[in-house]
Amino acid sequence: MTEQEMREVFREMREEPVPADSLARVRMGVEQGVGKRRRWKFAVPLVAAGCIVAGFLFLRPTKVPVRTVEPAQIEIAKVQPPPEMPVRTAPRPRRVRPRLQQAKTVPVLIRIETEDPDVVILLVN
Amino acid sequence: MLEAALMGEIPRERTGSFEQVLRQREAQVLRTAFRILGNWADAEDVAQEVFLRLHRHGLAFVNDAAAGGWLYRVTANLCFDRTRSKWPSQELTDMPSLERSAEGTVLLEEKKQRLMAALAQLPVKERAAVVLREIEGLSTAEVAEALGSSEVTVRSQISKAMVKLRGILTREDV
Repeated sequence: MTEQEMREVFREMREEPVPADSLARVRMGVEQGVGKRRRWKFAVPLVAAGCIVAGFLFLRPTKVPVRTVEPAQIEIAKVQPPPEMPVRTAPRPRRVRPRLQQAKTVPVLIRIETEDPDVVILLVN
Repeated sequence: MLEAALMGEIPRERTGSFEQVLRQREAQVLRTAFRILGNWADAEDVAQEVFLRLHRHGLAFVNDAAAGGWLYRVTANLCFDRTRSKWPSQELTDMPSLERSAEGTVLLEEKKQRLMAALAQLPVKERAAVVLREIEGLSTAEVAEALGSSEVTVRSQISKAMVKLRGILTREDV
């Protein structure tokens, strides 16, 4: 078969009809696939919307009934004064002053005799 | 040449439009996948996946050529993914022949079967290039875009593929 003949045969094959049953199977498969996809296309947003609504309903802050709590009667405890205790004042601390040391001096007695024998001058230190 | 008139202005995300595109393009996608993969079961799976991806992608294409290019590119990529995990199928010889009664048609069918059997022996990238260029009738640039390679590479792949096909068919004749 020459190349020319091959090309002619190829051209003949161009318009060759395909089997009808194959076409029908393809069409059916495509329709099923598209239908399945279409169902999902609707189902997914529906489920998502449902989840959002459910989430909104369950998670929103609900009004909790407020309990009225009556204030308990407050008893004021009387504080009794503590028994009087004898007050003791702490002794003031004495400041210890350092004592001045006196010089140890020996008393000096000076006797001055005057010309008059009755007059004597005594000088005591 | 892409079927320019098929898609037109397609508004995004309209099921009616998607179904319209599905009906207009399903034969093209299925045929291309079958030529590359070599069996109808795999081709059907690929075609389904292509259209599911189209549905996911949306129909916002700049023009019909872009849409056609996108479909071919996704088809080729999915075929490559599929052939990576499988041995090349030999089912290519089982091409459907709708009119085998007439003598001329029988001869043509025989040629087609031989050619498809030879095509099945090519590496998948070369096979895809030949299918898109020679059978689907895309330009080299369009094939390059669909296969994600350069025009030079596509030309080289097609050239190599044609030589290999001729070799295989000549060997068979002998």
